[in-house]
Amino acid sequence: MESDEDKEAQRPRIPLSQRPEWSDVTPLPQDDGPNPVVPIAYKPDFVETMDYFRAVYQADERSSRALSLTAEAIHFNAANYTVWHFRRLILEALDADLQVELGFIENIASGNSKNYQIWRWVAEKLGTDAASKELEFTKKILSIDAKHYHAWSHRQWVLLTLGGWKNELDYCWELLKDDIFNNSAWNQRYFVVTRSPLLGGLEAMRDSEVSYTVESILAHPENESPWRYLRGLYKGNTQSWVNDHQVFSVCLKVLNAKSNYVFALSMLLDLLCHGLQPSQEVRDAVEALEVSGTGQSDSDLGKTVCSILEQVDPIRANYWKWHKSKLPHAA
Amino acid sequence: MESEWEWEPMDEPPSPPSDSNSQTHVFDKDRHVTYLEMMYQLLPWPYQNQEINRLTLAYFVISGLDLLSALDCVDKEAVASWVLSLQAHPKDNAELNDGQFYGFQGSRTSQFPPESSGDLSHNSSHLASTYSALSILKIVGYNFSNIDSERILTSMRNLQQPDGSFMPLHTGAETDLRFTYCAAAICFMLEDWRGMDKEKAKEYILNCQCTYTYIQLMPCFQSYDGGFGIKPGSESHGGGIYCAVASLRLMGFIGVDLLSNSATPSIINVPLLLSWILQRQATDGGFQGRPNKDSDTCYAFWIGATLRILGGHKFIDEKALHGFLLTCQYEYGGFSKFPGEIADLYHSYYGITAFSLLGESGMNPLCVELGITDRAATGI
Repeated sequence: MESDEDKEAQRPRIPLSQRPEWSDVTPLPQDDGPNPVVPIAYKPDFVETMDYFRAVYQADERSSRALSLTAEAIHFNAANYTVWHFRRLILEALDADLQVELGFIENIASGNSKNYQIWRWVAEKLGTDAASKELEFTKKILSIDAKHYHAWSHRQWVLLTLGGWKNELDYCWELLKDDIFNNSAWNQRYFVVTRSPLLGGLEAMRDSEVSYTVESILAHPENESPWRYLRGLYKGNTQSWVNDHQVFSVCLKVLNAKSNYVFALSMLLDLLCHGLQPSQEVRDAVEALEVSGTGQSDSDLGKTVCSILEQVDPIRANYWKWHKSKLPHAA
Repeated sequence: MESEWEWEPMDEPPSPPSDSNSQTHVFDKDRHVTYLEMMYQLLPWPYQNQEINRLTLAYFVISGLDLLSALDCVDKEAVASWVLSLQAHPKDNAELNDGQFYGFQGSRTSQFPPESSGDLSHNSSHLASTYSALSILKIVGYNFSNIDSERILTSMRNLQQPDGSFMPLHTGAETDLRFTYCAAAICFMLEDWRGMDKEKAKEYILNCQCTYTYIQLMPCFQSYDGGFGIKPGSESHGGGIYCAVASLRLMGFIGVDLLSNSATPSIINVPLLLSWILQRQATDGGFQGRPNKDSDTCYAFWIGATLRILGGHKFIDEKALHGFLLTCQYEYGGFSKFPGEIADLYHSYYGITAFSLLGESGMNPLCVELGITDRAATGI
């Protein structure tokens, strides 16, 4: 919902000095001092707006014209927390309609504002009623940029503070359907699975999540996100991760396909380091990948895996070399 | 810290039309000095929407020049005097415990004469501005015994929340790891930890021992993938991991070169973190901030500096990174976010720090935990 201040901001700007309703106010110029460092070449309309803002702030005038003025200042500088803070004081003093305010804030936020503080204050005041509106709004931002960090952060805050978990897992599923490489969506999925009061928690969700993740890995084994997610599903329970047939099974499948197997090798290496006893099948799969000329075939599977990784993931060759040197000697 | 972070300009400054191939094969030190000197004299108008963070913009310029060993154009006394003029002062000692933070304000727009009436928050001291202010004062060699640390530190405790996190302003704002980092760096530079409860701050960063029970009762900051977001639950992010690791290091909870001392147990899961960090180097040689995102100049600092703290910087492909950074080098000086684009101050600064980390000749070494030169940090 567009506020009056919003509509005003879209008309061609009349200088404040020419507006009769401001004729009683003397603007307060910025005192930069004798040797300002990194001065900014402000435009005249910016200067004028901030000069008038300083005047009303100094006078502590909490009126509706002051409210309009803060909207103009915010349009110039959405990150100015002093202006936002004063706006909040005015809203309280005027007992303003916070639904209208939410509309104003959403408008600013769409223009890529990063100051979410007043947004939260308004949302908190409106309570759980605001939840679905906030979720709709962040969804709008995410439909333009599905990885918008602050939008995700705000969405998580809404869920934790105001609720609205019901459709969140579905929403993650939709986003991942659009782009399985969207790491933000994977992160949100983890957030929902571990924190939603409507689901059973990580342990209860693990099996179904593992199936989903394995499917995603097999579709695009070069996608880092589901590999990390898979490991994350066993957070705090490393032994389960090592012992779960589904985990080394997906590694094996990818290795056997002989394509995009860097993450599979990396996970296998981690499993070995945490005590996985490799089957002959796994050994054979690794051996089949050995690039000729990697040197002697190591009886230690871990070292072989490192050697292969040095070749197929050369940008991290130093790391794989070091990792190999740190492996305990085979018994 | 990216389009997702507060400190990045939203509009690029206008530039002259490019009529030649902007790519060069060497680090163009002189042009970067010229670029920063121009910014020191006057920031173009598109930076007006960054006005509230002017101290931070000044930090980018001055620290950048210091890294380039080109501080001679800077009038150190004038700079110190301007920075100090942004310090908030209580009217009297009684005000010291009034719940406000008495640090440094980001700019003149948030600064009003102390005799102003009305809203108490005329003092808009901000943690990030205070960090920037103290960093600049270190760089220009200001005598820190002249700073009233007591006032800054005592009042800074008003910003720390029960969960250990920090708000940036006493008027209230969202808390996140960036402000934990600022608080830690401020205490470190003032050589006095009375400004924060370190244990609680550590708790916020770690929050649990990463053991999940059936129902998650406590958030764990180190994410499921080994990284850190800027808040518990947030996506792991290059800037987040820097703030987490640098804060822990500054507070003394992790030692130097963790990787070489891998036998000692650590409060963070280092192998998982290392794996996540190193995977950030993409095929184009640059660093991405998060998985499956494009490489961006600034992460050469956030990721590179974190690796330096952990002792893992030898694992990156320096040649490939060097190559990527040069594709972001702007022909008129400075660095852009992505290859072939126009430079902005934020990415220019972090591009320059990246070259210092790479050992580019003629540059001053960087103190990675504080984000200023070693020389400035140690005062030598």
